[in-house]
Amino acid sequence: MSVVEPQVDSRDPAPAALDVRDLEVTFHRRGRDLPVLKGVTLRIAPGEAYGLVGESGCGKTTLAMAALRYLASNGTVDAGQVLVEGRDVSTLSDEALRKWRGEAVAMVYQDPAAALSPAMRIGDQVAEVFRYHEGLSKAEALKRARESLRRVALPDPDATLRRYPFELSGGQQQRVVIAMALAVNPRLLVLDEPTTGLDATVEAEILDLIEELRGRIHAAILLITHNLGLVARLCERVGVLYAGRVVEEGPAREIFTDPRHPYTMGLLRCVPRFGMNKTDAALQTIPGTLPALGEPLEGCVYSARCPMAKPVCIRREPDLYAWPGDGGPRGRAEAEAMPPEPAAFSPHHANPVGEAARHARCYFSAEVAQMPHLTPVLATSLEARGATAGAVLEIDDLVRTFRDGRRKLTAVSDVSLNLRRGETFGLVGESGSGKTTLAKCVTGLIAPDSGTVTFEGKRLRATAGRRSQDALRAIQMVFQNPDSTLNPAWSTRAILTRAVRKLGSGGSVRAKVDKLSADVRVEPRFLIQKPSDLSGGQKQRIAIARAFAGDPTLVVCDEPASALDVSVQASILNLLVELQTNEQVSYVFISHDLAVVRYISDRIGVMYLAELIEVGSAEEVFNPPHHPYTEALLSSIPTLDFGDRRERIALRGTMPSLSEPPSGCRFHTRCHRTLGDICVEQEPPVQEAAPGHTYKCHIPPHELLAAQATAEPAAPIKA
Amino acid sequence: MAAAGTTPDRRLDELQADAAAAAEQRRQRRYLVRSLLRSPTFVVGVLIVLFWVVMGVFSTTFTQPPALPHPFAILQSPSASHWFGTDDLGRDVFARTMAGAHTVLIIAPLATVLALLWGGMVGLTAGFYRGLTDDLMMRVVDAFLALPIIITAILIISLLGRSYAILILVIGALFTPVISRTIRSAVIGEREREYVMAARLRGERSAFVMAREILPNITQPIIVEGTVRLGYAVFTVATLSFLGFGLEPPSPDWGLTVATERLNLQAAPWTVLFPALALASLVVGVNLIADGLSSTFSK
Repeated sequence: MSVVEPQVDSRDPAPAALDVRDLEVTFHRRGRDLPVLKGVTLRIAPGEAYGLVGESGCGKTTLAMAALRYLASNGTVDAGQVLVEGRDVSTLSDEALRKWRGEAVAMVYQDPAAALSPAMRIGDQVAEVFRYHEGLSKAEALKRARESLRRVALPDPDATLRRYPFELSGGQQQRVVIAMALAVNPRLLVLDEPTTGLDATVEAEILDLIEELRGRIHAAILLITHNLGLVARLCERVGVLYAGRVVEEGPAREIFTDPRHPYTMGLLRCVPRFGMNKTDAALQTIPGTLPALGEPLEGCVYSARCPMAKPVCIRREPDLYAWPGDGGPRGRAEAEAMPPEPAAFSPHHANPVGEAARHARCYFSAEVAQMPHLTPVLATSLEARGATAGAVLEIDDLVRTFRDGRRKLTAVSDVSLNLRRGETFGLVGESGSGKTTLAKCVTGLIAPDSGTVTFEGKRLRATAGRRSQDALRAIQMVFQNPDSTLNPAWSTRAILTRAVRKLGSGGSVRAKVDKLSADVRVEPRFLIQKPSDLSGGQKQRIAIARAFAGDPTLVVCDEPASALDVSVQASILNLLVELQTNEQVSYVFISHDLAVVRYISDRIGVMYLAELIEVGSAEEVFNPPHHPYTEALLSSIPTLDFGDRRERIALRGTMPSLSEPPSGCRFHTRCHRTLGDICVEQEPPVQEAAPGHTYKCHIPPHELLAAQATAEPAAPIKA
Repeated sequence: MAAAGTTPDRRLDELQADAAAAAEQRRQRRYLVRSLLRSPTFVVGVLIVLFWVVMGVFSTTFTQPPALPHPFAILQSPSASHWFGTDDLGRDVFARTMAGAHTVLIIAPLATVLALLWGGMVGLTAGFYRGLTDDLMMRVVDAFLALPIIITAILIISLLGRSYAILILVIGALFTPVISRTIRSAVIGEREREYVMAARLRGERSAFVMAREILPNITQPIIVEGTVRLGYAVFTVATLSFLGFGLEPPSPDWGLTVATERLNLQAAPWTVLFPALALASLVVGVNLIADGLSSTFSK
C-alpha cells in the first residue's frame, strides 16, 4: 500500500484529530479471513463531531477499536494508517501507547455497567484516573474526581463518590463513564453507541450533557451509532458505512436532507418519521439482507440490495466521488469501457476523489433523489379491519405486585383498558413502567393479583396453564429477543410444526407450516436450519409465524423489532401491518420507540410507574393537550428534522422506585408543570381531553393545551 | 425432528429437507468433534481412559491370571518375568494392576449414570417448577449434601451387605444431590428464556417442556458434570474398597490392593505403588476429559 501524500494538510495547518487512511482490517475466525474494513478513509478535524452510522456488522466498532489500537487479537490491520494528531498509532511503543491513551483519547462504550468496576466505589474509580495519569495524591485526586462529577451534572457528587456502581441508575452510570473519559481532557473522544439501551428521557439528558460539554471541551468526537437522529443532533459531519466501506460522507445536514447514495436514502426511508402512521404511508424497506461479516461482494458493496443497481455496478466498484461533480458518470463510463469481467473491490480506489465536502460511492448519485419507492402494503383503515364497537379485550383494575425480599414492588397498578378487533394498542413508557408485566398478564404468563382480563366477553383464567386451548390459540405473543425466542435445539420447521399441531385448527399440518413461512417471507430452505443459522430478522419472522399458527385474535408484541437493525425493523413492522390487514388481528404493541409506536398504533397508552396515565388515539396522545410526562417523552426523541426547534424538557431527578411510589400524582417528583401541593397530596383525576382521550393530571385540558401549544407542533412529515 | 409424526403423504421434497437437516446436524457435530480432538487436554484424557478400558476388558487374555500365586516368588522386585514385581502371595502385580481396572470401570460409570438419571429428574423438577416444590426438594438435597459420602456409604453397606449392585446404588444415590444442583441451575437459566414462555402459551404439558424444550439445551453442562462425577466415583469406589467396604479379596481392585498390601509398603513398595499410580492416572484421565469438554463447550 502506497503511503498517501499528506495533501490534505496544506488545506488545514493543524493535524487532524483523527486521520484514517485506506484502513483495511481483517478478522481471522475459524481458519477463515474475514475482511471487515476495506479501505476506509476519514478525517476528523480538531474539535469536530463526526458521526459514523451503519447497521450491525458494517465495521463501525472495528474502526473505533483500530483507531485506538484496541483491536481484538484475531484482527489485523492489513493496510492503511491511523494518524491521531499526526502521529501514526501503529508505531507507538506499549508504554507510549498507554500514555497516549491516558492523555489524548478517551472512549465511552455502550454499556456503562460493564465499563465500571462493580467492586469499587465511584470515587475511587474516578480518582484512579487522576492518580495514575497525573500522579496526584489520594486526597487531591478525590477532589478532582468530585469536580469532574459536578461537570457531568451528577446530583450530590459527594454522595455519589461513596456509592458503588449498582447504586446508580443507568443514566448516572453513563455520566460517571463520561466524567472519567473527560477527566484526562482528551483531544479525541470516541462514543460507541453511548445512549443505546438507555430510556428516551435519559438518552435526552445524556445528549444534552454531551452537547453542553462540547462548548467547554475542545475534543473532537467520533460518534458511532445506528441512530440517525442522534447524529443529526450532535454531529457536523457524517460518514455512512456499509459492509466495511464508506459509501457516503459529508455535512450531516446535507446528507440527511439530500442523500446521494442509495443506502443512505434507504436508511432514511425505512425509519418511521415522527408523526407517520401506517394508514398514511408504508415504511420503505431495503430489499435483501445485510451481508455477513467478511462476505465477498462483487463490484459495488451495495449492488445486491440497491433498487437502482445496473450491470455496471457489479462490473467495477465505484469510487468515493465528489458531490456535486461529474465523477460518478465518468467513473461509470470508465467501468463500462472495461472488459466485461467482474472485479471485486479495488483498494486503490478507496480514497476520496477530490477535495469536495461531500462524497458518495455511487455512479448514479444524481438519480438517488428519484430512487424508486417499493410499495409494501398500506394498512387499511381501522373500520376496514373489522373494528367493531364491542371490545375484543377488556382489562379492568389489573394489579400485580412482586416481592423483592421484604419490599413490595407494584409493577401494574389499577390498569384498565380495552381493545377492539383489528386494532393496535400501543403501550409506551420507560423501562420499569410495567408495560411487559401488563402484557404478560394478558397472555397468562404472569397471574395478576387482582383485576380481570375479559376476552370476547368471557373472563380469562389467570394463567396460561389453566386456559383452554381455544383461549391460548386466540391470544399469542411475539417476544423481544430474537436470540432466545426460538428453541436453539429445534429446526425451524419443527418449531412451526409443533405450533401448528398444538394451536392449528385441523387440516394438513404441513400445508399450514408452508403457508405460515410463506406469509412471513421465510424461504423454505431456511426451514431446515436451526435458529442459530438464521439472521435476527428471520428469527423474528419465524417467531411471528409461530404466533400466527392458530389464527389468533390478539397478538401481544413485546418490542418485536427493537433488537433489530433499522432496515430489518421496517420490514418486520410492515409484515405485522400486512398480517393485520389480512387476518384482522388485534395487537398490543409495546415499544420504547415512540416513532415506531406512533406509526403502528391506532390507540396508545402511556405508562409511568405502573400506572396508565394517558390513553387516546395515536394522534391525540402525541399532540397537545397531553399529559406532561407524554410531553416530556416526546420532546426527548432526537429527530432528523433539522428545522426542529422544539424545546427539550429535562425531567428532574430519576425514576422513583416502584416500592415507594410518590404520593399524590406519581409524576409530581419530576413534573415540569407541577401545580404545587395539590400534586403531592391528591391523586389526580382522570380528565377527558377528547372523547376516548383521557389522562391523569390535575391540570384541566384547556389549561394544558394553552401551556403546551406555545411549543411548536411537530412539523408535518412527508414520506 | 422435522419428521416427527408427519402424515403418510410424505413427499420427496420433505424427505430431501429432512436429509439436509440431518446433514446440517452432522456437520455441526463434526465441528464439535473436531474442536474436541484439537484440545490436547481432552485427547490425553481420552487416551488414558481408553487404555484402562482396554486393560479392564482384555488384560487377562495376555497377562498371567491375576489371582495365580507363585509360592516361590513372593515379594519379588520388578523384573523381566514380573514387570511390576510380585506381592506377598507371589501374585504378579502387573497382571493385578491391569485387571484392577475391570471392576472400577463397571461400578463407577454405572453409578454415575444412575446419579445423572436421579439428579436429572430432581434438578429438572425443582428448577422448572421453582416455588415451594423447589424449596422443599432443595432443602432435602441440602440435607443429603451435608452427609459425609464415605461414612454414609459405609453405614448403608454395613446394613445392606456388600455387592456390585449395592455399591452402584449407594454411590449413585450419594452423588444425586450434587448433580441435581448443577442441573437445577442450568434449568433455571433456560426456563426464563422466551422459547419456554412460547411453549407455555401453546399449552404444552410441563413434562414436554422439561424433556423436549429444556433438556436438549442443557446437555453440555450435564455431560461435563457427569464426567467430573465419574472421576469422583472412581475415587469413591477405591476409597470404599480400601476401607474394606467395597470389593472383597481376591479381587485385584486397586483400592483393595493398596489396603491389603500396605503392610509390605517398606519391604515391597511396588505392591502398593503401581495400583496407586493406576488409580491416580484413571482419575486424572477422567478429569482431563472433563476439562477438555468444558473448555470446548464454553468457547
